[in-house]
Amino acid sequence: MSRLLFCATLLLGAFASAQDEVVEVPEGSESDGYTPDEAQAAEPVRLTGYLDVGFAKATGNGSSFLPSDGRVPLDYGSDAFAPAVNSRGEVASTDATGRFTNGFLPRSVGLGSRPSFLLNTFSTDVRVQPRSLPLFLFARVQVMPRFSASGDATRLELQQAFARYSPFKAHELAVFLGRFDSVFGIEYLETEANLRLGITPSLLARYTTGQGLGAKAFYRVQVPGLWSAFSLNAAATTNGTRIEALVPVSQSLTGVVVGSARLGYELNLQKVQVKAGVSGLYGPRNDVKAGPARQLAFAGDLRVTAFGVSLAGEVLRLIDEPSASAKFTGTTVGELATGFDVTGGWVRLGYTLPVTTPALTSATLYGRYDHRRGHFVGFPTLVTDRFTLGARVDVYEVLALKAELLLNRELAGAPTVDNDVFTSSVVFTW
Amino acid sequence: MMHALAVVLLVAGGKPQGSKDAGVGLGEQAPLEVLVKAPEELGYKAVTERQYLLVTLLVGAKAAWDRQAWDEAATKWEAALRLPALPAEVESAVRPFATAARERAGGKASSVPPLTASPEANPTSVTITMEPPELKEKKQLVEVSGTVQGGGTHGPGGAVVIFRRASGSTPKPKAARVRAVVQKDKRFVPHVLAVPLGATVEFRNDDDFFHNVFSISKPNDFDLGLYKSGAQREQVFNTPGPVQLLCNIHSSMNGWLFVSDSPWFGQANAQGKFTVKGVPVGEWEVEVWHEWANQSSKQTVTVSASMGELSLSVEGDRRAPAFVPDKAGKPRQPQLGY
Repeated sequence: MSRLLFCATLLLGAFASAQDEVVEVPEGSESDGYTPDEAQAAEPVRLTGYLDVGFAKATGNGSSFLPSDGRVPLDYGSDAFAPAVNSRGEVASTDATGRFTNGFLPRSVGLGSRPSFLLNTFSTDVRVQPRSLPLFLFARVQVMPRFSASGDATRLELQQAFARYSPFKAHELAVFLGRFDSVFGIEYLETEANLRLGITPSLLARYTTGQGLGAKAFYRVQVPGLWSAFSLNAAATTNGTRIEALVPVSQSLTGVVVGSARLGYELNLQKVQVKAGVSGLYGPRNDVKAGPARQLAFAGDLRVTAFGVSLAGEVLRLIDEPSASAKFTGTTVGELATGFDVTGGWVRLGYTLPVTTPALTSATLYGRYDHRRGHFVGFPTLVTDRFTLGARVDVYEVLALKAELLLNRELAGAPTVDNDVFTSSVVFTW
Repeated sequence: MMHALAVVLLVAGGKPQGSKDAGVGLGEQAPLEVLVKAPEELGYKAVTERQYLLVTLLVGAKAAWDRQAWDEAATKWEAALRLPALPAEVESAVRPFATAARERAGGKASSVPPLTASPEANPTSVTITMEPPELKEKKQLVEVSGTVQGGGTHGPGGAVVIFRRASGSTPKPKAARVRAVVQKDKRFVPHVLAVPLGATVEFRNDDDFFHNVFSISKPNDFDLGLYKSGAQREQVFNTPGPVQLLCNIHSSMNGWLFVSDSPWFGQANAQGKFTVKGVPVGEWEVEVWHEWANQSSKQTVTVSASMGELSLSVEGDRRAPAFVPDKAGKPRQPQLGY
């Protein structure tokens, strides 16, 4: 026994000695590092993208329309965008009975109340960065296969295509020309399924996350001593900032561009990041061809991240002046270009669990509250809200697994309807 | 080494009184304000800092000697004698003083570091001073060189070659000096840097605007916060492995550190050529890490005095991620440019 102890002591001693051994790095052995040529460092052409598939189940008939509701237009008396099932904001269903609507409608995947698997989006980005030029070219092409007969048709869309020019190295100025994302608010930053923390957009995303054709410029100036920066993002585009289901986005029906901008503030502390902004939009309505009807919007936004907790929110006020001419949406032509205004906001709280492994790169729980008060002139004010609970798990940096529960409520101006949604999504980024 | 000795200086000497006679105020100015704007200037800065440290130690030691602060003088001279590749004339001038100071301080002359350099010594071989003398005598140190191939379309440049003992544990490296990664023209320079475990890396902003260098490469994640043009921040890396460097302001910036848990490592140049100095003869497992490889490559090699050039390879199969995370881990869209 004592011999065994002696051997064990020797072994432990040897082990400890080896563990503690420290050797100086041989002089001249440490390299000064490696830096590739600037032109060599950047890949001139890159292809990336994602595939978003999901499973969803809506309650009721999958839409916000009560079967017994006889009001017209039907879409003025309900929030047709509430039962969303994916990151594009497409809903489980819209009305299939042929009741009169006026084009204020989302696109639909045509599920009704059936639990279904969905092929939401196949998206490809092409990035071209010519060597030694301050120029960047970008295009995003998306395929939305819709297999259901009652869903909107399969589409191939050139969602974005622009050139970005950054003339200065010492100043943060970027000028864009082409079709690009909105500059209004913050939700446009995460419209794509692989970027969005959750699955579905807010009840206000239809007004702020569309693309437009035109020019925009981004400029940021930093403030020494305050750990802060101010930025201005301004655009002049055909469309305002509404999504393509509501307005034609790549053409100006009046020939007059819509101006939009966001003034942003960033506070960058260690482990704490605060971003806030105010946005504005002004120009002609782009869903009517004649008349002086204008659209006007302003918004405020805030994002705070610290120690795994993220808080984000946005408030919005938008006004459409009435017009006597027909209304052209992205999908149909309506009879009325009614005056409209909306007020609302959303706030989202997320917590990223402090657990990561090589496989599990991130796990986040979140909740969001949306509130929307919409009013078509001459019709009752519609007040709805939504509670969203969800979870997102990222695996190996290429796979996102998401699940979300949407609890929609009609608070005023609409009959109570069963339009809650459970939806889930698997997003493979390549 | 410089950093460690600076600490020794401060601990041994206490807070300097600020008088010129004390001669120790110089040391407080380290690290030196030597701008680094290109990779080749890093070596220049290292040499300058080394010479500066030597002068600081010699001046401070002599001032302490004149004040009859024997222990302080001995400590500084001994620190100078521990500097690798000390010029022979410096060593011969310092050693008698160091011995005398240590004796007057009540210590033994044997505590003065042994000879570490001689004019005849092979300048590419370095004595490993931390090892027991009897072990040191048995080992023959070899300068291993070779070529890395691979890295895909990016080429092998920047590949890190790490030697670990094939059997038994590999000694830990002693971080010798502060390394620098500069932010210039919205780039990290150098783009890839290998450092030993425990190394201090200073990040200096040589752009005209702010940067916020951070990493979410766990467990070496860090966040230096926002700092202005000309300012620098330091970070110590105590866990081995790759560390991706990003900027929270500029999503286009990215760079890499590789923290080596072995003292024997090197880095390939654009042509893939590398050199690792002072490798003891024997069996080694050689790892090659490359920023564009999903997995490091590993192979066993025998290091001997007669060995030829090594030929190593590494994959280049890693694709750049579609998005760049901010410091909260939230993905940013690079096409926006902000």
